Order: sequence, then structure tokens, then C-alpha cells
Amino acid sequence: MSGLELEALLEHPERGELDVIARVTDSWAAVAVEPDERSLEPVEAPVLAVLIAARAPSSWQLDAMLRRIRDRGYTGLAMPAEVAVSAGTAGLATRLGLTLLRSHRPTALARACWELTVGGDALKLAMIRKVAQTIQYSARDIGDQLGHLAANLGHGVALIAPHGVIHQAGPPLAPDLIERVDFGSWVGHLQDPLGSVASVRVDSKGSQRLRLAFHGRSLSLPQLVALAAAAEIAMPAVAARLLIDEVADMNAASRSSSLLSELLDPAAAHDAGLDRRVVERGWRTSGWHVGFSAQARGRTEPLELLRLLRPWLAELPVSAHAATRGAGVAGWLTFSHAPTRQELAHAVDQLRRLHDRALLHLAVATGVGSLQRDLAGLAHTIQEATDAARLAADRSAAGWFLHVDRLGIEQLLLAWTGSDAFHAAAQGMLDALRPEDRRTLAAYLDHESSLVATAGRLGIHRNTVAQRVARAESSLGMDLRDAEVRLAVRLALRAAEHP
Amino acid sequence: MPWTLDRGDIAALSRGAALLSGGGGGHTRIAELASVEAVAWPITVHAIDEVDPDLPCVAVGVGGSTMVFRERLAAGELFTGAIEAVDRWTRAPARAVCLTEIGGMNSLTALPHAGALRLIDADLMGRALPGIDQFTLLVDDLPELVIAVSLGPRGAMLVADARPEDVEHVLRAAFEAAGGWAGIVIGGFRAGALEEHGVQGSLRRAFELGTAWGADDTVPLEARTAAAGGRCFGTGRVTAVELHAQDARVRIIDIEIADGSVLRLIARSEVLACVVDGLVVARAPEVIDVVDPQTGTVHQVEDIVAGRSAAVIGFAAPAWWSERTHRLRRVLPSHYGLEGLDEVAS
Repeated sequence: MSGLELEALLEHPERGELDVIARVTDSWAAVAVEPDERSLEPVEAPVLAVLIAARAPSSWQLDAMLRRIRDRGYTGLAMPAEVAVSAGTAGLATRLGLTLLRSHRPTALARACWELTVGGDALKLAMIRKVAQTIQYSARDIGDQLGHLAANLGHGVALIAPHGVIHQAGPPLAPDLIERVDFGSWVGHLQDPLGSVASVRVDSKGSQRLRLAFHGRSLSLPQLVALAAAAEIAMPAVAARLLIDEVADMNAASRSSSLLSELLDPAAAHDAGLDRRVVERGWRTSGWHVGFSAQARGRTEPLELLRLLRPWLAELPVSAHAATRGAGVAGWLTFSHAPTRQELAHAVDQLRRLHDRALLHLAVATGVGSLQRDLAGLAHTIQEATDAARLAADRSAAGWFLHVDRLGIEQLLLAWTGSDAFHAAAQGMLDALRPEDRRTLAAYLDHESSLVATAGRLGIHRNTVAQRVARAESSLGMDLRDAEVRLAVRLALRAAEHP
Repeated sequence: MPWTLDRGDIAALSRGAALLSGGGGGHTRIAELASVEAVAWPITVHAIDEVDPDLPCVAVGVGGSTMVFRERLAAGELFTGAIEAVDRWTRAPARAVCLTEIGGMNSLTALPHAGALRLIDADLMGRALPGIDQFTLLVDDLPELVIAVSLGPRGAMLVADARPEDVEHVLRAAFEAAGGWAGIVIGGFRAGALEEHGVQGSLRRAFELGTAWGADDTVPLEARTAAAGGRCFGTGRVTAVELHAQDARVRIIDIEIADGSVLRLIARSEVLACVVDGLVVARAPEVIDVVDPQTGTVHQVEDIVAGRSAAVIGFAAPAWWSERTHRLRRVLPSHYGLEGLDEVAS
């Protein structure tokens, strides 16, 4: 049999709505549960008396009862909440050295005391049963599942890694506690002045060194042992949930990414099905847009970058969407009305802050496009942003952040392509093209690879444009469907036009 | 030997009566002022064995709300009409007078009659108590008692040979009809009956108590209490005054004593019990007073409010109450339905 700590009792979820009236001693060797004061036997060791049906119609009778109970050796007394306790009685309890508690459900309190002292196995079983009940409920995601666990067990639940909390529900886990958790062991518990933690390793291939932790402020050993057992039972469900979330996340990201590609592809037909999918994803294509693109400057998964940015984008006061695109993330901010210069500057500033925040975690370069309207403009601004992000990757002085302001991307591009070395390389590459193909290709690339727009600009038939572009592609030996190639060729054409 | 009470003794008598009041019985100050004019000084006080035991006797005093008494002062001959009514009923005019209660202002109300009637040094309570059925003559249920109540400026109501519990009810109604308080005259007994059925030497006790207590507030309270033969239960500050959940006539006064102990007083119109740290240290019939620690003035129960400084002191109960079991039962806290207060901790 283990002793009873008041703190542990106060953290027991089924403690019977306990109020602490006077606090003198915090721990007891045992608990005596009796209907009323008359059946309490004298004791030697400090004992908490739990009275199920005690009554004291007047304050002086309660005073006298407290005194008698203390005289019999008890250092703690829990009474039914119906017993009115005046300030004088609370003062007397302190004076007598008696911790005084009131419970709205004394039988529940008695059971909690029993579980914490002699009924450790019952406590463990109760916890495991609660975990089993939790698993029966479907959860939207890991956060939801941890929320169910925390609510059912009545303790804080956290998914932790050595560097911090990944997810948590219920009361927050003190961050300093994490470094004291043994990440090497399979299951373990920790009692510390900062708090108590029972944790188990999460057996997941996708995530290394994760632990599922149940915690409280000052849990007793029986509670921690019971919670550790509960954590072991809950862990496989949590691991499975993590895997399901991962797959679902990748799936959603991949669908978003292909939808964005379709949306931005000027050659693709905009049918009702595409519009429906855009709406389903909650994306807005009408209104004014500012595109942005974040590209990793190292070996980083686009999905990882998107996961990093997604919660921050959700915090922005304007509507923001993002999806993986190429080696990075592309997205846009949408305004329902034409933003003022200040609003626009503010939005770009927020993207800048977001970029600075991301830099603390990953090496990224971010580009921001100009303000554009509706779907056609959306493609344009995102393209600008993507180009700007590429340029930003070489600009550490600008903090790897570049905003295409009203001067346009061309100025930026030219500033970068103005070097002699680039000029010579561009000339060498373009020499293979016929002059008309070169002119057509320049117009085609300037008009976002639109045959119709290029034909209109040059005053020729679009079939001619198609033929010339195809011939140029073949002469160059390059695939113009690749965005990188398109950018390189476009830059070369610009550089050659402005020697 | 009969002894005399002079005008200069009135202050000491008044102080002693306040100390015997247990927080009830009304302020003595007004009766003190009234008696200065109404009484033909000096007054001769007779012990019971100094008067003819066959003398028809009356006990006089004011009953009802002492708070209202302060607002509606007595006018003229307070008891004359009621004494006449008793005389007519008994056909034996009263020749002697005693007090109904020595505690509080009733210690002085009989004094104006001391010229016409022989003033006997005895009363019917030995202190102040809440109930009319706690007059010693009624406690011992003396036969053929006549109780008259003066009804304000004119008229009197008379109850003859009634059961004590009925007297309580009827007189309470009469007090209300009379405007909150009324003069009570109890007759139908002879002076000799007071030897067995009254508390003897009450005036002398009050006078001696008041003299020993003194008027010098530079003397520490403990010294004054000790000089008067009392004991001190504690000095502190009133933290709360609450009405008892089961009986709104009962007040529970919490006092935080300087040493940290928790003192509770349980009171009706008088303090009935004193509990310190869960132990009953005193209870009625012992006299429990709440006094101002600086001046030594006795507080009336209704004047005790949270925040007030208070010293709680006690004086021995009149022995009369403990001589018979039925008497004690009539005065213990359990008589008022208050449980757990009769047993004093040893």
C-alpha cells in the first residue's frame, strides 16, 4: 500500500469535485473511509478521514467535530459539501493541524483515495478502459485524437520529440520537462518538481524519437504507473493515426499541387470540373492576387516546406492559399477589393516576416509577385513570384527575399542578366534559331506561352506560331514545357535584345 | 442588617448589572438617568430574612424589546397600574417589591417603588435571560401566581395561575400590543417564597461586582476581570456575525483571538455559550459578557458587529440554577434547541 499525496488526489480526474478549505499537511500514510465521525478509530500515523455522510448543523458543532477528529490522530478530513464551513472553522482546522477538504461526491472521492493507495491495479484498469473507449471514437486527425485522450483520461496528453512538443491536448506540458524525459527507454515515468510524466516510445517508421506522454503537475507513483500502462495501450493507435495523417497530408498536397498546375497552365481548358475542384479546395481565383513562391535552397521536401508555412499562412489576416509546386511552394494572397498601397505594402511585409520566420527552420528563398486581377492575373503573379524566388536564391544581401514591385520582373531580370558572360552565352545559344523563330519565341514566352496571344501580338496565324515554336524548340534541343528551360530561354532572349 | 443604597452608588450598581446581563437586559444608562430623578434617595434594601415572610410581594421589571425601550422611553408610573391590578386580583395589597431580573436595566426599574414598598434584595433570574418562563417562580411553577402587564398609558392585562409556557406566549403578544415593551408585575406570592424560589442578594452582588470592576479604564482588563472574580476567555476582533441557519433568533459571533484561536459566541438576546477552538468553555447559566477591551463597557448582543474589538469574559452562574435538575434544564443551551453546547470541556 502506498501513501496518499494531496496533489496526486487533486489531479485524479474522478476526485468527486474536491475543494481544499484548509491546507496543513499534504500527505497521509493511509485513508479511513467512514459514514460519519463516530466510527473513526484513533490512529497513530497521519491518516485522512473521508466521511461520507457527516453532518454538522451548526458551526460550533463542526468545530467540535474537527477537534475530536484531530484528537483521534487524523491530520486530514474530507467532508460532504453539504456541510457549511465558515471562515472561523477553516481557521480552526489550520490551527489544529488538520487539512480540511470538501467533496461534492464523497463516494467518488473515497474510490479515488482507494485507487491511489491500495487499488493501484484498479486505477490501471480504469485508465486502460478509458483509452479503449477513446479509441472507439473516430478522430479527424492526431490533434483530435489526443484531445479525446486528454478529455477521457483527465490528464494532459502530448506527443513529444527531443526538440519539443509536436502536438498536445489538455493542460500544456512544461517545455523544460522534455529534456528530462528519457527518449531511449521504451516506457518510463518521471517525477520532477516541474511536473510528472509517464511516456512511451511511439513505434513509427515515419517519425523517429517520438514519445506519447501523459502528464500532470504532481502525480503519485501509482498514477504514473497506471498512466504508463495506458500510454502503452494508446500508443499503437496514435502511431497509426500519425501514419494515416501523413498519407492523407501527402495525398492532399499532391492533389493541390496538380490542381495548381492545371490552374496556371495557359494551355489547359478551364472547364466546370476544374472550377468545381478549385471551389472544393476553398481556393479563390476571383479578386486581386499577390503571388508568392518559396523555394528551398537545399535538399528540402516541398511538402515539409508547405507544412512549415501552412499554419503561419492561416494566421494572416488576408485569405491565403498555397500548394507545392516544383521544388518549392507557390501560393497567393487574395483581396476581394483592390487593395490600397498601404494594404498591399502591409501584405508584402507580412510575407516578408513569414519568410524570416521560415529562415529560422529551413534555407528558403522567397519571391513575391505583383498585384494582379482574377484567374489570368493569378497565373501571372505566381509566375512572377516563382521567377523572383529563383533570383532571390542568389541574393543573400536581400535576405533571400525579392518582391516584384511595379517596375516589373524584367528590370530585375535584366539587372541580373546584364553581365558579359551571360550575354555571350545567350548569343551562343540563340544563334541556332532563325530570326523569325527567335522573334516568335520571344513573344510567345512574353505572353505566358499562349499561342493565341502571341499570334495577336505578331499579326500572324496561331498555327504559324505553333510551327515556329516547335521548330525553335527542336533547334535549341530543349523542352519548353520545363519552367526552368522557359525562364532560361526567356532571359537569354531578353539579354540578346538589350546588349 | 438592612443596607442603604445612595444616589452615589447608582453607577456601581449599574456597572454590576451590566456585567450580569450577559449582553442582554437592555442598556442600564437610561434607567440610571431615570432613577436619579424618580427615586427618593437613599433606599433601604432588605435581605429576605429581614422582612416578614408573609408580606405580599411583587416582582417588577420591563419585558419585551430593549431596543425599542431606547426609542420609546417610559413615561410616568410605569408599574403602578399593573401593581394595582395584581392587588385587586389577590385582594392582598403588595407590601414588598423585588426585581424580575438583575441583569441590565431591570436592576434599576424597581427602585422608584422602594419608598412605598419594602425593597427585598432578590430577583427572579440572578442575571438576564431571554425567556419569561425563565423567571425562577415560573421555573419552579409556583401555584396561584398572577402576572400583570401594563399596556402603555392606560390599562393592564392579567394572567392568573397559567402554565409557564403559556405565560411566555401571552406576554409576548401583550408586549407587541403595548408597542414593543411593557412593564411586568408578578404577584400572588409572599416574600418568604423568595428564599427558596428566588435568587437572593442580587442587588448586593451587582453592587459589589460593579464596585470591584471599577470605572477606571486605565486598569488593564485582565486585572479588572480578576478583581471582579471573573475569568477572561480571550480578546480579539469580531470577524463575523451570522444568524443560525435553523433559528434566526440565534446569532453566532466569530471572534479571532489575538493568539490565533477561534472563539465563537452563541447568543439569543443574551450570550448563551462560548466555544474556543471547538471546545465549550462556558455556557448559560454562567454569565458570558462581551466587553470593550479599552473602556470595559459591556456590549449588548445586538451591538456586536464584525470589525469590533471585543474581550469575552465570564462570571459564575447564580447557584440557584444548578440546585435542581429541572432548573438547569430550563436555562442550558439545549433549552433553546441548541445542540452540543451543554457539556463544558474539563
